[in-house]
Formats: sequence, structure tokens, C-alpha cells
Amino acid sequence: MKAWWIAPAWKTLHYFAIAALVGIVGLVDLRIFGVAKGLPLRPLQRLMPWATLAFAVAAVSGYALLQINPANALGPPVNVAFAAKILFLVFIGLNDILYFATGLKRQVDGVGAGESASASAKIVAGVSLALWVGVVFWSRMLTFLAGAI
Amino acid sequence: MQLLQQWSETNGFLIWLRESPSVWAYPTVFFLHTIGLIFTAGASIIINTRLLGAMPQLPVAPFARFFRPIWIAFWVTAISGVIMVAADLQTKLENRLFPLKMIFVVLAVVITALLRRRIEQSSLSGSTRALAAASLVCWLGAVAAGRFMAYFQ
Repeated sequence: MKAWWIAPAWKTLHYFAIAALVGIVGLVDLRIFGVAKGLPLRPLQRLMPWATLAFAVAAVSGYALLQINPANALGPPVNVAFAAKILFLVFIGLNDILYFATGLKRQVDGVGAGESASASAKIVAGVSLALWVGVVFWSRMLTFLAGAI
Repeated sequence: MQLLQQWSETNGFLIWLRESPSVWAYPTVFFLHTIGLIFTAGASIIINTRLLGAMPQLPVAPFARFFRPIWIAFWVTAISGVIMVAADLQTKLENRLFPLKMIFVVLAVVITALLRRRIEQSSLSGSTRALAAASLVCWLGAVAAGRFMAYFQ
């Protein structure tokens, strides 16, 4: 189990999943902002289940990576970056629940080619984008902040 | 090469980058590289899947509008990458996977640039699909080579 390629293979899978996830989230959020307005949002949002699948792959590979490198996990000792990463993921979950529960997702489905999304949709998209950038930031800090406190 | 090495060892900014314990030094440059490559590769991959026939309900031409953010993210990745290589010339340039990674990146960039006009013209010919498949492989290859580099000499 200690072959040298196991850790980079899990990392590669983790990155592939994150690329797909952030690729989908990024394109949908940018379209809601008004980039590529020619795209109708209903078929674009059909990509979201694939983002969920990519998240599941990222979570499983991330869990495997924590077994390989426990210093990047919650601890003890506490890894501040990991705690912040989980907190940001929880915020993303809440933002998504808000998006679906308030009917905003259905409203955005009605935004056709050439049309603009509402201001509230843009706010939710902006929060989503900022939080995902934050998750990547905290992930990058994992090894640097391990044992910082 | 020797001159380059000397410059890397004496340049104030690169010394700071290597030696500062601050997260705003090397870790932040590394973060910019990561976020840039994830968006560049991720957005390109999603567009490539459209070119390969996924999401047929979506018109193709508007995807060309995503090229501006993709190129911005690419330059963030490229500049932060050059800075990290400059800070650590020997380890990076002597890594046997580094040339492979660079080949993937250059091919991916050339193919993506070639795809832009085809996307604007909504041309989904066989050659467009072949380019989209090649682009997908190159972006994924670049990411994989980058990840494996850290475990290679």
C-alpha cells in the first residue's frame, strides 16, 4: 500500500474532480453574472448534478488523502486551514440550500438566451464563486498551516 | 544556465519568496497557480464536452465569450508558475516530468486557441471534435503531470 504513486494518483483524481466541479460552477455563475448571455440557463443548469457527482469524487479522494497525510485533517493538533475549508464548504451548502429552497433556481431556469438573471441570483452566484475560491485557498494552505496553532 | 542560477540565488524577491515564513509569500503564489489552473482546465474541459456532443440543447457560439476569463486565469497560472520555477530553478528544471508537463500545457494552449474560431462559427465538424478531444486529454495530462512532479526527481 506504500507504493510511491498512490498519493499522487489520489491527488490527480482529486484535482480532476475539482476541475470539473469548479468548471461547471464557474461557467454557470459567470453566465448568471451576464457573461455568455447567449446561453439559456435551463440547459446550462442541467450540468449541476454532474457537479454534485464531481463533489462526491472529490470528497472520497480527499478522505483518502487525509489518511495518507493526517496532518492536513482537523487534528489534533488543529489544522486551521482544514477547519476553515470545512466551514467554507458548509457555507456553500447553505448557499445552495438557499438557492433551491427560495425558488431562485427555478426562476433562473426561466432565464433564456440573451436575458439577464435577477440581482438576487447574481448575489447568490457571487457568493458561490467567492466561497469556492476560498475553499481552494484554504486547501492550498493545508500543508503550510499544519501545526501552525 | 549558470547565470540564471546566479540570478535566482541573488534576486531579492526570489529570496524572500523562498525564505519568508509568511503565507503571503510562496503559499500565495502557489495558490494563484492552483486557482488559475483549476479554472482554466475546468472551464476548458466543460466546453470540450459540449463540442464532443454533450448538452445538445446549448448553442455553441456563446461559449466563445468564456475565453476572456479563461485566458485571464491562464496568465495568472503561467506567471505564478514562472515565478515558482525561477525561485527553485534546479529542482524544477531537472524534474523529469517537467518537460512532459510543459508539452501538455503548450499543446493545450495551442489547441484551445485553434478552437475559438470554430466555437464562434458553431462548427462541430469531425476535426473540431478531434481537437476538443485532444484539448481535453492535454489539460488533464497537464494537471496529472503537475501533481506527479512533486513525487518525482
